[in-house]
Amino acid sequence: MKNDRASILFWQLAIFATALAIWEWGFPLSKAYLPRALVPSILDPYFISKPTSIWTSFLKLGCFADKAGFLSCFNENSNNLWIATVVTIKNMWWGFLWGTSLGVVAGLVLGRSQYLAKIFEPYVVAVNSIPRIALVPLIILMFGLGDMSKVVTAAIVVFFVVFFNTFEGTRSVDRDQIAAARLLGASELTVLRTVVIPSAMAWVFASLTPAVSFALIGVIVGEFIGAERGLGKLIIEAEARANASEMMVAIFVMMIVGIILAWVVRRVQAYLLRWQPQYDQHA
Amino acid sequence: MMSTPPAHARADSASSASPVRIQVTGLDKVYPSPTGDVVAVEKVSFDVRQGEFVALLGPSGCGKSTILNMVAGLLARTGGDIRIDSDEVVLGTINRKVGYVFQRDTVFPWRTVEANIGYGLEIARVAKTERERKVREAIEKAGLAGFNKSFPRMLSGGMRQRVALMRTLIMEPEILLMDEPFGALDTHTKLEMHKTLLEIWERERQTVLFVTHDLGEALTLASRIILLSARPGRLKEDFEVPFPRPRDAVSLRETREFGELYTHIWHSLGEEFRRTKAE
Repeated sequence: MKNDRASILFWQLAIFATALAIWEWGFPLSKAYLPRALVPSILDPYFISKPTSIWTSFLKLGCFADKAGFLSCFNENSNNLWIATVVTIKNMWWGFLWGTSLGVVAGLVLGRSQYLAKIFEPYVVAVNSIPRIALVPLIILMFGLGDMSKVVTAAIVVFFVVFFNTFEGTRSVDRDQIAAARLLGASELTVLRTVVIPSAMAWVFASLTPAVSFALIGVIVGEFIGAERGLGKLIIEAEARANASEMMVAIFVMMIVGIILAWVVRRVQAYLLRWQPQYDQHA
Repeated sequence: MMSTPPAHARADSASSASPVRIQVTGLDKVYPSPTGDVVAVEKVSFDVRQGEFVALLGPSGCGKSTILNMVAGLLARTGGDIRIDSDEVVLGTINRKVGYVFQRDTVFPWRTVEANIGYGLEIARVAKTERERKVREAIEKAGLAGFNKSFPRMLSGGMRQRVALMRTLIMEPEILLMDEPFGALDTHTKLEMHKTLLEIWERERQTVLFVTHDLGEALTLASRIILLSARPGRLKEDFEVPFPRPRDAVSLRETREFGELYTHIWHSLGEEFRRTKAE
């Protein structure tokens, strides 16, 4: 077992190092030694940058390379890497929160009421058929270039993912468990609180991991189309200057944000769903 | 309709002076279907008196669970009358005096053993210290000690059914409706459950209506057996089970009397099984 883990780690690191090395030196070397036809020009560092340039750009965008010092660079650039990251995460968090809350509430209500579900079905189908991205320019028109339009975009994207899962989860609650609760004296509201919601939780949580990714996508797309700050804005500005390294910095930051948030959701999920078989602590 | 098995004393019958707790009169259940109505239950009448343990026995699909669900108010009846303590049973109205145990596993998987058992007391807002004491006692009684904080997924099917049983019994129902509660368990686990249930019932003497298709189970537990015919369910026989109490679920099965009564009923029941198969 231990050997296994060591060798897996070894190969992971080896692949990482090799990939970085090829990225860094691969293109100039192959250009020098291989026939031209074998070297695709999109692999030119002009397009994909290279690790050392990305690192330099990171230091520059992160205000570590400024001769005037970190603080003066930080104050001078209102969309430096740190502010951009914080703003993107903040908008994403609010969008995620609103989208999830409304999605859970709507899913529970329509999931519990056959009557309301029938009434709203065509509207849900219709609105769900609109590609969410198509709404972004409209949302920016309505809510402006500031943070609010990004929050709304993320919330709309998240809402539908969470809504459909909560709806399904609510509908698939075991009828006998509900009957058992009623026979033990539970009112309709108590059944909702003590049986339907805990039972639907597994479905809700299954949607939260994708919801986090969707919230990030929603915010970034919003920032692409019109924003004053944020990581998406950083990428658009770098694109205008054809600066691949800076785009790569923003992309890596998003990757790290995504990894951390997915991890947090998984931990919360493992705790709240600890009654489910797949979360056996010592298995 | 009535026939008393030969050569047995009425050792365990509830006194005919005991009040009637469940009264079923001319009960019908018809399920409409495009190919014609299906009669599930036809003109069934019986009484269950205070402190009786009545088994509703019949082949699969004879409508015995249907009867139980109508008694519990979980299912609408097509015709006839059901009264509990002379009050008519109304669909969807929960009677606090009545406890119900399902055949299917209905413990709440997101609650620990103690939270499952204490569920009814919790929503009835019983004070925490009293709730904890009662839950402790119930866990003791059910032989679940040491599993207080376990989630149901860590328990065997038999233990989960013990949790379901105690979750109902902790509410101290005077009338207990049980729908093949041990039907999904293996033979050995079933016997263990019989022991536990006998112990509890012989002490507390709830009024029980117990649905089963297992003749041995009915004879082991019940004081009276109501035998139903294959579909449509009709009352076929109604007789006392004469074995003295306290009963031992294991050694009772080895007695001559048990064997005789088993054979006697098996012939009635056997007919029904053959009829079900022939369809």
